[in-house]
Amino acid sequence: MRSLQFSVPLLPTSRFKRHSVRCASDRQQLFNRIAPVYDNLNDLLSLGQHRIWKRMAVSWSGAKTGDSLLDLCCGSGDLTFLMSEKAGADGKVIGLDFSKEQLSIASSRQYLLSKACYNNIEWVEGDALDLPFSNGYFDAITMGYGLRNVVDKRRAMQEMFRVLKPGSRVSILDFNKSMQPFTALFQEWMIDNVVVPTATVYGLAKEYQYLKTSIDEFLTGKELEKLALDAGFSYARHYEIGGGLMGNLVAAR
Amino acid sequence: MVRLSKWLLKEAGTGVNKTLSEILVCPLSKQALRVCEEPPSLISDSIGVSFPMKDGIPCLVPTDGKILDTDDTMKHDNAADDSANNK
Repeated sequence: MRSLQFSVPLLPTSRFKRHSVRCASDRQQLFNRIAPVYDNLNDLLSLGQHRIWKRMAVSWSGAKTGDSLLDLCCGSGDLTFLMSEKAGADGKVIGLDFSKEQLSIASSRQYLLSKACYNNIEWVEGDALDLPFSNGYFDAITMGYGLRNVVDKRRAMQEMFRVLKPGSRVSILDFNKSMQPFTALFQEWMIDNVVVPTATVYGLAKEYQYLKTSIDEFLTGKELEKLALDAGFSYARHYEIGGGLMGNLVAAR
Repeated sequence: MVRLSKWLLKEAGTGVNKTLSEILVCPLSKQALRVCEEPPSLISDSIGVSFPMKDGIPCLVPTDGKILDTDDTMKHDNAADDSANNK
């Protein structure tokens, strides 16, 4: 049998001359490498606040009992478990990620947490740019710290639009690329002086240095709103949270 | 740890969850997938590609797919026919 290999498009280099360009498989390997300590580092680096931001993201998605829900770039499943609680026994949640290691951890957590409602979760290894779902299937979608890491954000938005039911919402939580100089400086200082030194203790300095590059290459709130509207969403609003360090894009089909 | 291992083996053994197989489509053609029990996989007949299942998790990243040669298509069809006859 022959393998199905596709060439992965690289980011255009003209805009990002200062930074190294990473293709999808580099990022996949990065997330595989950080998987074992990902949850601990999230807690440590955000002083546990990421849990609040994620609850806000789920609330903004409009997810409710009985819904069919999708958590994209689910990683180790934080948002997926929250969506599962919203959906309840009559609902269904798919957690999708392209990292086998992250999904393995998510699946183990599902077993260890052993809450009955988490039986409504299914894990799928997939690509946010080529979703294995038919049109108009989901009642709500969440994506936490994923959009910044996909190599084609426009395509990811188009896929999210395609698989959403009309009238439903997507809620995308991520770092905020702030236009406020003080906030941007503070964010950079935090990464250089707190995040990377902490990650270094775990032997993951290079992986977390990628964070600064990826925020630099990310879109501002206004640009994210435009991205969503261009993809066909009828409504898009970006909310700054966590003192402006984080942002949540809410878009409705 | 033993309980977790047994649970994972059980998940791997059951192959494709029926509900999941109804939700999923081929990531490339967006057409329906056909379940293959042995080896556990999802077949996209529309493009002649097989996507594996590992530890009960469907692997539907496009690069996970393997193009089915004619012989493989026949083997998958025979396996599907055998399991249908045995039911």
